[in-house]
Amino acid sequence: MLDVRQALALSLEAAFLTTVIAALAGVPLAYLLARISFPGKAVIAAIIDIPLAVPHTIVGIALLMVFGREGILGKPADALLGLKFWGTIAGVVVGMLFVAAPYTVNAARIGFEAVDPRLEKVARTLGMGPWGTLLYVTLPLSWRGIMTGVTLTYARSISEFGAVVILVYYPMTAPVQVYDLFLRFGLRDAAAVAVLLLIVSLALFILLRYVASGRVHTGGGR
Amino acid sequence: MTSPGLAVENLSLRLGACRLRNVTLDVGAGEILVILGPNGAGKSVTLETIAGFHRPDAGRILIRGRDVTGVPPERRNVGFLFQNFGLFPHLTVAENVAFGLRSRRAPIVSGHRSTPSSDVAELLAQFGIAHLAKRHPHALSPGEKQRVAFARALATNPDLFLFDEPFSALDAPTRERLRNELHAFLRRTRKPAIFVTHDHTDAEALADKILVMNQGEVIQCGTASDIFRTPANAFVAEFVGIENILAGQITDIPGASLGVAVAGKLLCAPANEIAECDRKDVQVCIRADEVRLYSATAPRVTSLGATNRLDGLIVATSRLGALSKVELDCGFPLHAYVMTRQVQEMKLVPRSRIEVEIAVDSIHLLPH
Repeated sequence: MLDVRQALALSLEAAFLTTVIAALAGVPLAYLLARISFPGKAVIAAIIDIPLAVPHTIVGIALLMVFGREGILGKPADALLGLKFWGTIAGVVVGMLFVAAPYTVNAARIGFEAVDPRLEKVARTLGMGPWGTLLYVTLPLSWRGIMTGVTLTYARSISEFGAVVILVYYPMTAPVQVYDLFLRFGLRDAAAVAVLLLIVSLALFILLRYVASGRVHTGGGR
Repeated sequence: MTSPGLAVENLSLRLGACRLRNVTLDVGAGEILVILGPNGAGKSVTLETIAGFHRPDAGRILIRGRDVTGVPPERRNVGFLFQNFGLFPHLTVAENVAFGLRSRRAPIVSGHRSTPSSDVAELLAQFGIAHLAKRHPHALSPGEKQRVAFARALATNPDLFLFDEPFSALDAPTRERLRNELHAFLRRTRKPAIFVTHDHTDAEALADKILVMNQGEVIQCGTASDIFRTPANAFVAEFVGIENILAGQITDIPGASLGVAVAGKLLCAPANEIAECDRKDVQVCIRADEVRLYSATAPRVTSLGATNRLDGLIVATSRLGALSKVELDCGFPLHAYVMTRQVQEMKLVPRSRIEVEIAVDSIHLLPH
């Protein structure tokens, strides 16, 4: 069962890293998309949504061509930084990020769009600077949307199979492990790990929902 | 020019489809300026530029003589109220009121309250909302929201109040009550204020001065009486609801005042109107509420000053609440307002004839 535990740990860790990166990059992007109009905005929004519309095996192949050994980003990253996307957790994160980040951007964008910009203006006239306004008005009011995005991103990362299996077969994430066991030993072995993954995923999902709604409550009652 | 209030000089701005062209205005201490105009006239953009949300391409903004043109909103010291009063929905009433006080005490450590709670308590008491301190805005009536917004804005002791259609989502009785409260509040604080609206009633009730805007330009600025009785052009006349705008020609009438012919009928206009109309073709503005009707049976009130008397045929009447509109044919179409009960008392029925009186002073001429 060591393999299984390692696979599960890798899934959780990679999904966590993915979620953090998606939040750090995706939430500011979502804010820009919600508040500022600029040429090419529709194009950016469409690019963000591509992974939702394309089969993930195809995403995996595309990512392999970019981040693989001979890829346009994979090769210089290895040469300059020693960062390899094959056979490493970095590859897993790239695969997860590409398919899961849209959920952060889209949900956070809806959250930001729901905040009346005039509330931000009122905060400014009351003496609050732009960062204070973001911290004390915009973020508390869009918190639910952002946390929904974060939760969905984490869930989507844990469950990602198609893109990851093509980009990085080894080290195996839990879904890849299940697939591998199924191919090699049949349904019984695969089902046991599948149930384990299901329980862990559900527990995490419920915990995240609880944390998200708890924050909303204190935000409202502060 | 040092004004104790606000001075805006030659403000120009291009913002997407919206443009401001050379907007100049000033508001003295304790004065209420109403900016009136149709949707898209640039009223809100003007207000937001004064508050500091748009950087003008040209022009200056001075608050109490201080040039704030390049100053960010948080350092302009203005109070800003908009539709539904813009209370922060995630904060309680007390926290809303404390917001401005809190933001002046940087840095704010989350969870650490550095607000002098006595200031907040005093403001809450002053506006009679102390019992609401722990409630959230969604649980408040419009009147309570307005008072919270006043308390919150006043907490930072602003030099200027800006109102962007705060009543536009309210029903008429609530609107009237809140308008009276707002008027009393501004009279008490003696601070200059700008109130943006497209509602004539708001404008007439609140304004010391009215500024009419259209397509980013100031069309006319004056007292309520100037704007509503002597509009500068046909746009203002139509916008402020002058029901009768008729084509006429200046005609010499021997005697004191100025004559104008409308569809062959001669009307006397105030002699001072001619200064603004150097051409023969004019537009004749007559407010429908200044057209008086006399039935043959009703006792005649002796009118003061010179009047025009005409014979009219009633075409139709329509009820608009307490007032009714009477459409007349006097050789030219003319609308009049009467109290609704008078329609019955005076037997104002279609196809009956009636005597029509228009005071000379009620006639305003515009160049055609």
